[in-house]
Amino acid sequence: MESRLEARHVVAGARWASRRRFTLLLLSLPIPPLFTASIVFGSYAISPLEALAALVGTGEADATIIVQSIRLPRALAAMLGGACLGVSGAILQALFRNPLADPYILGVSAGSTLFIALAMLTGATLGLWSPTNPFSLYTAAFAGALLVVILMVVLSGIVRLTSTILIAGLMVSYLAYALTSIVQVFVDIERLRAFTYWVMGSFSGARWSILSPGLPILAVFLASTIVLHKPLNALLLGEEYAKSMGMSLRRVRMLIVAAAALPISVVTTIAGAVGFLGLSAPYIARQLTQTSNHQTIIPASALIGAALAMAADLLSRLAIRPIEIPVTAVTALFGAPLVIYLLLTGRGAHL
Amino acid sequence: MIATINLSAGYRGLPVVGGVNISLRGGEFVAVIGPNAAGKTTLLKTLASLLKPLSGVVYLDGVDSARRGARETARLVGVVLTEQPRHLQLTVLEVVALGRYPYTNPLDRLSEKDRREVLRALRDMGIEDLAERRFGELSDGQRQKVMLARALAQEPRVLILDEPVTFLDPKARLEVLAEIKRVCIERGITVVASLHEVELALRMADRLIVVADGKVKTYDSPEEFVELGGPSILYGLGLGVKFSAETMALEFSRTNEGPRVFVIAGGGSGALVYRMLARLGYQFSTGVLHRGDIDYHVACMLGGRIVAERAFHPIGPESAQRALQEALSCAAAIYTSPEIGPLNLENQILAETVALQGPPLIILGNAEFQGAFASVESLSELSETLKKLLKNGEEAKQAAPTAE
Repeated sequence: MESRLEARHVVAGARWASRRRFTLLLLSLPIPPLFTASIVFGSYAISPLEALAALVGTGEADATIIVQSIRLPRALAAMLGGACLGVSGAILQALFRNPLADPYILGVSAGSTLFIALAMLTGATLGLWSPTNPFSLYTAAFAGALLVVILMVVLSGIVRLTSTILIAGLMVSYLAYALTSIVQVFVDIERLRAFTYWVMGSFSGARWSILSPGLPILAVFLASTIVLHKPLNALLLGEEYAKSMGMSLRRVRMLIVAAAALPISVVTTIAGAVGFLGLSAPYIARQLTQTSNHQTIIPASALIGAALAMAADLLSRLAIRPIEIPVTAVTALFGAPLVIYLLLTGRGAHL
Repeated sequence: MIATINLSAGYRGLPVVGGVNISLRGGEFVAVIGPNAAGKTTLLKTLASLLKPLSGVVYLDGVDSARRGARETARLVGVVLTEQPRHLQLTVLEVVALGRYPYTNPLDRLSEKDRREVLRALRDMGIEDLAERRFGELSDGQRQKVMLARALAQEPRVLILDEPVTFLDPKARLEVLAEIKRVCIERGITVVASLHEVELALRMADRLIVVADGKVKTYDSPEEFVELGGPSILYGLGLGVKFSAETMALEFSRTNEGPRVFVIAGGGSGALVYRMLARLGYQFSTGVLHRGDIDYHVACMLGGRIVAERAFHPIGPESAQRALQEALSCAAAIYTSPEIGPLNLENQILAETVALQGPPLIILGNAEFQGAFASVESLSELSETLKKLLKNGEEAKQAAPTAE
């Protein structure tokens, strides 16, 4: 009796694990074609074969430059950035126990943006560091993101109401953007357009110079999320249960806050404030997999986030060719109605 | 297993209960009772190390629990709270496996031993068939069993349960508690559970902790608690509510104004009839009952007038005479068909006499007496017949003066 029962559960466990792997495999299918499309499509027409030649360095000079120094970094930035936004959205949602939590809505991206703008401004005016030095920008972005996440954690300890937290996040965003727009006045006219694009959220400015320190951080972060699902799953039962099962609340909370702030700050430094991917990727992941288990939700959010980001980036450069629109304009078109839907149907009330 | 020394527990520096000195042995089922908001939850959470003591010490297995890490504590103490997470998209197996949290590595891989413990916990709570169901689809009772199985998967030596059955229906309540008790005896786990219903606590617990007015008092057994007048102190009883030490239950005794009914009963055949009469608003007398009979206790609690005989003595002529007098003064009589033997033969004779010369006699059950008013099969039939009979009587009485 005992062994039969055990066998049944072992089989069930194996079935569950293989179903999980199958789901994740399925979710990764759109990524290669989207990546290819990101390299092929743009204002300058390049065929897939030409692109391949350009990648290995045997193509014609123009195409090689465009592919190697513009489209490849941009595609990588969109893919990894989208994955990280999806994951940090899933983490924030577990931390706040609120499916509407998203780095953009909570003002984390805005906090990063403000600190980057300040670093650029003080760098330019005080000459303490170069205004475009990636390390100072990443550091500033991380400080800004961390500050806002901690502020939100403190606020959510005071007010429990989901919608109140969201409004507080929006107000933090407004505040940060107001300050950023003041900084913007000081940006010289040649760089204004790029700066404005970056503030609005766009992968168009992704170059190797800014990417090279950021992409490894994102890759390492994504790999390290494998230790996150255990505490996040325990938190699904509530903080008291998590504590009673041996979770050290303070340490885990610090880890989660840092784990949410780090990828957002990197993405913001590269592409500005990209909205709603952190909200929609985990939502879609939960809808497709019908589980709250973070062992599934975290990788699924990463895959969906990557696909969504690349698709949105493609749309942003192809929709009104040859004019590019900010990527957040695309994601907001889909993301904002989703938030409204979740609020109206009450599905935003629980994970 | 658990002991406290001068423990003071509360929130934000404000003590809710103070001066707590308790010492609980392994394998005991300890019920924590007390009025609402007296600090039961605060005390339990402090015992479970979910709250820091304001002062004093909690010793778990001989070690000051403030000196133990969360992980080590979780291997000793399992906790189940009143509120359950509701919208959880996890399977039962996944939830119970969360109980292995203090044993698994950061990658959360379940070892052979982890899986065995999860299965054992599922089996102990009798929910192995639910393993692949979704937690959110279960009934409240099933969900609470899952949360308990999760706590058992921690292999705890102490289970702290904060009103574990309050939101369950009465059947699930008993079922879940019985399950907890059985498993904990088997595994030698000390259970400290706050219970909303004192009656449940008295039936389940080996020992009692009473939390009231910021103080904590322990009783070594439910019997001691009852003998020392605990229930009245706890509830400040009076006003028609009494605690019956015999049935270990709260009883509602009211002073009815309606017509008086005589009940010939005994051996438990009258208990439900008395309750029905009390509820319908009638006064009642009953006899002849032996002291110590369950009918005697129930009639006592409900405020009935009783003609009693000493226990294990045949009903004597004097009691029989008093019973007949009482019956003749009543508006109706009921014979509940008690078992008749040498000691209560008089009751049968009493019924025969009442049927012939007394008020209308209704027979509940299969006895037969010449001159009886009616014979009914069930309590509901009895209440209908009685209502009809006594209403007519009332009307007749009211009509009489105008006729004169």
